[in-house]
Amino acid sequence: MRQMRMTDELRSLGRSGVAEAEAADDLATLDAVRVAYLGKKGSLTAVLRGLGSLPSEERPEVGRVANEVRAELESAIDARRAELAAKALEERVAAEAVDVTLPGRRRPAGHVHLIDQVVREIVDIFVGLGYRVASGPEVELDWYNFTALNTPPDHPARSLQDTFYVKDLSGDRAAVAGESDVVLRTHTSPVQVRVMESAKPPIYIVAPGRCYRRDIPDPSHTPQFNQIEGLVVDEGITFGDLKGTLEHFVREMFGADRRTRIRPHFFGFTEPSAEVDVSCGICGGHGCRFCKGTGWLEILGCGMVDPNVFGYAGVDAERYTGFAFGMGAERIAALRHDIPDLRVFLESDVRFLRQF
Amino acid sequence: MRVSMKWLRELVPVDLAPAELADRLDMTGTAVEAIETVGQEIEGVVIGRIVSKERHPNAEKLWLTKVDVGGGETLQIVCGAQNFKVGDKVPVATVGTTLPNGVTIKKAKLRGVESVGMNCSAIELGVGSEASGLLILPDEAPVGASFAEWRGMSDTVLDLEITPNRPDCLSMAGIAREVAAITGATAGKPSSTPEEGGAPASDEVTVTVDDPSLCPRYTARLIRGVKVGPSPDWLVQRVLASGSRPVSNIVDITNYVMFELGQPLHAFDAGRLAREGGKIAIGVRLAGEGEHLVTLDGKDRQLAADTLVITDSSGAVALAGVMGGEDTEVSAETVDVLLESACFDPASVSRTSRRLGLFSEASSRFEKGVDPNGCAAASDRAAALIAKIAGGEVAPGVVDEYPAPRSPLALTLRVARANSVLGTDLGPHEMSDILGRLGLGVADAGGEALAVEVPTFRPDLEREIDLIEEVVRVHGMENVTPTLPAGPGRAGGLTREQRLRERIGEALRAAGLEDTMSYSFADPADFGRLGWELPEGEVPVELLNPMSEEQALLRWTLAPGLLRAVSHNQRRGVDDVHLYEMGAVFVTAPGRKQPKERTHVGGALAGRWHRPTWDDEPPQLDFFDGKGVFGALAESLGIERWKLRAAEMPWLQPGRSAEVLVGGDVVGWLGEVAAPVLDAYEARGPIVLFELQTEPLLRSAAGVRVFEELPRFPAVELDIALVVDEDVTAERVEQAIRSAGGKLLEGARLFDVYRGQGVAAGRKSLAFALTYRSPERTLTDEDVAAVHEKLVRKVTAAVGGELRG
Repeated sequence: MRQMRMTDELRSLGRSGVAEAEAADDLATLDAVRVAYLGKKGSLTAVLRGLGSLPSEERPEVGRVANEVRAELESAIDARRAELAAKALEERVAAEAVDVTLPGRRRPAGHVHLIDQVVREIVDIFVGLGYRVASGPEVELDWYNFTALNTPPDHPARSLQDTFYVKDLSGDRAAVAGESDVVLRTHTSPVQVRVMESAKPPIYIVAPGRCYRRDIPDPSHTPQFNQIEGLVVDEGITFGDLKGTLEHFVREMFGADRRTRIRPHFFGFTEPSAEVDVSCGICGGHGCRFCKGTGWLEILGCGMVDPNVFGYAGVDAERYTGFAFGMGAERIAALRHDIPDLRVFLESDVRFLRQF
Repeated sequence: MRVSMKWLRELVPVDLAPAELADRLDMTGTAVEAIETVGQEIEGVVIGRIVSKERHPNAEKLWLTKVDVGGGETLQIVCGAQNFKVGDKVPVATVGTTLPNGVTIKKAKLRGVESVGMNCSAIELGVGSEASGLLILPDEAPVGASFAEWRGMSDTVLDLEITPNRPDCLSMAGIAREVAAITGATAGKPSSTPEEGGAPASDEVTVTVDDPSLCPRYTARLIRGVKVGPSPDWLVQRVLASGSRPVSNIVDITNYVMFELGQPLHAFDAGRLAREGGKIAIGVRLAGEGEHLVTLDGKDRQLAADTLVITDSSGAVALAGVMGGEDTEVSAETVDVLLESACFDPASVSRTSRRLGLFSEASSRFEKGVDPNGCAAASDRAAALIAKIAGGEVAPGVVDEYPAPRSPLALTLRVARANSVLGTDLGPHEMSDILGRLGLGVADAGGEALAVEVPTFRPDLEREIDLIEEVVRVHGMENVTPTLPAGPGRAGGLTREQRLRERIGEALRAAGLEDTMSYSFADPADFGRLGWELPEGEVPVELLNPMSEEQALLRWTLAPGLLRAVSHNQRRGVDDVHLYEMGAVFVTAPGRKQPKERTHVGGALAGRWHRPTWDDEPPQLDFFDGKGVFGALAESLGIERWKLRAAEMPWLQPGRSAEVLVGGDVVGWLGEVAAPVLDAYEARGPIVLFELQTEPLLRSAAGVRVFEELPRFPAVELDIALVVDEDVTAERVEQAIRSAGGKLLEGARLFDVYRGQGVAAGRKSLAFALTYRSPERTLTDEDVAAVHEKLVRKVTAAVGGELRG
């Protein structure tokens, strides 16, 4: 009888413990339930401690029930704890939710100037073809800027009207422009001569840099601009090589869907000379106002290095042939990005600089 | 060069439509800048017949006409001309027509009478110079027809860009030859032989040329008894199509022949040239000191010593190749004409026309070079036309001063060489054919080396390479197979220095600065604005011909450009400005020819890093942001030994300016811009500005870095706050800490600077977080305490400080 009573008591204790655990609203209450039943001084613990005083034949049965009740209660407490933890997490997550449309935090990085971007892109294309990058001074001698490039002494480009001259402090008094034969280079072509003087073929170089001409600033002119020069001198270089190289360049620069054409032209330091056009990107080559109805946009001048230039630079014109080309970074940038006024390149307007 | 398609078709058969021909010309080196249709301007002008002519009721000089314009329509038109009668056929501009002079015809009331349209004169229609009366048309002109169409005025004109190496293309005959070469047609060559009569020209005219290098050939012809008047229609049309204005028959003929053959001509009134012993003594010489000439345009021109002039025995009568004199100009009274057909030195003509600002069709042709062997034919052609159109008799013979006749040039074209330059595989016959079509003589047309004779009208063909160019030009560059160079022994890429240079920009952009570029020019006033002085022995680079006084120098510093940039942005409402520029600066020194060119990198910071946002209000940028930017730059280049040292510069605010030292050398400066400088550049402060020489930065950049073992044992952090005098720098305290810390001190980070309560006036508290670590073991509290205690003792002694309580 006593055994019956004992096990009933245990089960009843277990039931009330489970009920209390399930009713616990927070972890602290749940912990209090655990301590009240299963702690050192807990009620279930007390019963279990009293097992020893039971007659030995009752002990196994009561012990079994007691363990059963304890396991049930523990699992109820664990289950409730998991429930409460999940609920607490849910509440925290709900509380921490943000408006994801609020702006992110960042320190904006600076941008590469559009002209520098264009120059880099062009340089990269030619580096990919095995070219190196050369440079030369912006304040140049008349010899490199004009004479060695086969420019006749009376050529209008040499006039004070078209070319900036700087004061020569050497004491020399040159014939050109009366007082000086030191100029702000009007193109990057003098680098050609400097490279040929200082290096032996094979020569494969591009030379980007600033140039200056006495143009009054207007939407299509600035007295300072950037060119990229190219020069190849090697055995067996042909006009076909020039054409293939520039066609490759135009495809890389403007996209494979644009067509190119190469037309004969005249430059003093190349022969044969040519200009390269790319089909108009606005009208696709049908003719529009942007391309003045022609369907084509001129982007660069080029040609085979004139034997006279080889002569000035000390290269054997029978053994070596070569080609050269030059293009304006501003023009290419303006064509590609539809920029109506070149002066914006030199204004440092942050709103412009951040656009590209 | 304007090319009338009608005229061209008379010289060479052209089957192509104008647009197709333009395309062929484009692809063979003669760029077509525009294709114009002319004659459209006078659409709306029809042929009318005067039906009645009555006095205007309210005006004595006006007529009231009724004009039949066909289709059963009769217009009432008030007319001021006097030269017509009933039954005359005249051009009538109907309402809505815009005439070449820009006048648009409207229905109007003239002195109270309605007028619907206008009866036109030649000048109003741009078809002649006659302004005094209506243009009376021949009887056969069909009433109601379009005037332009009936006159055959509709034409297409190609506007060609002729490159400076092709003077031969500055003529219709030359263009015809070029068109023949590129289309395979055959061009005719216009020429005439005048009928001659009377006394030989040499009886009346002598020619003396002082310096044949300035005037290789001078020919003079005499035409006696001409009648100067308006030109016939066809001549007017040709002159107009070429872009000139009709003047008189004699002048129009000289212009016509110039456009046709490329040889500029000048007609003198022979009666107004001085005679001596009955003879006109034409001379060609340089102008004397103080000489002057009234030119055709009525201006009295002072001549320079290198101006080439044409003279008679009284003095200068024309500027050679540029413009004739007013005194000897052909006029309505002219009876005898002396016709000049000559060749002048291009450079001499170019100098004179530039100096005087006189540019004409003639001077532009002389500047590019005319063929001395073409002078006589052009003279013959013009003399014959004068005799035909203006009457008169051509005196026998040409007075011709041509001491050194120019001969055709003999060149050799190696077929294999041409193919190896072009990358083509053309045979000798193909090349010969091309050259032959261009008017060159080719012997041995099938051989490996072609013997080519270059006529003197192609002065640009002097060398084999010039012939190679002609071959590819006419063969078509589009027909050359594109290839890539196959040469071995090349390797592309950037040098280490070029790559490092890129890294400077990358670091500055990562730090938030925009890449910019400004003018390389500087204003001499920038020296004063900045209070800048160049080092002893250096002077700025001066331009001889600046565009303006503000751009008279080359920049020696990037600072003004950056300050202007900040100001530009601030004035446009952009306050947060962070810029850098990398570019050349220039200085020179007495005795130097070319200046020194150095690459600098400079930057400016103004405002904040960005506008405040919903949870982030960035502080106003100051000195330490600039220093941070430099730190980032130094780190990206692997420069470890750098520091700032307080230094004063006139353009920077004292106490907020420093020199930048790398490896012990000054490489630049950094600081906040001084208030007067801000005012001078109309900028708002604070602005942090810095400028560095890139060369030493690149030299100091680290090479390959070697791996350092990562720490394996935990660190112990201890803070220390030291109170020191104001003049003790953070750098000094940190150095004292580092030297006292021994091997176990890994790092010292300044985390607080405090002044105020608890710290005596004139003193400050610097708080450092110190990190102790051993590479060999985990440090115990006792280990650290011992070291730390020693450190505190040494540091307080070294910097005169005390621990803050």
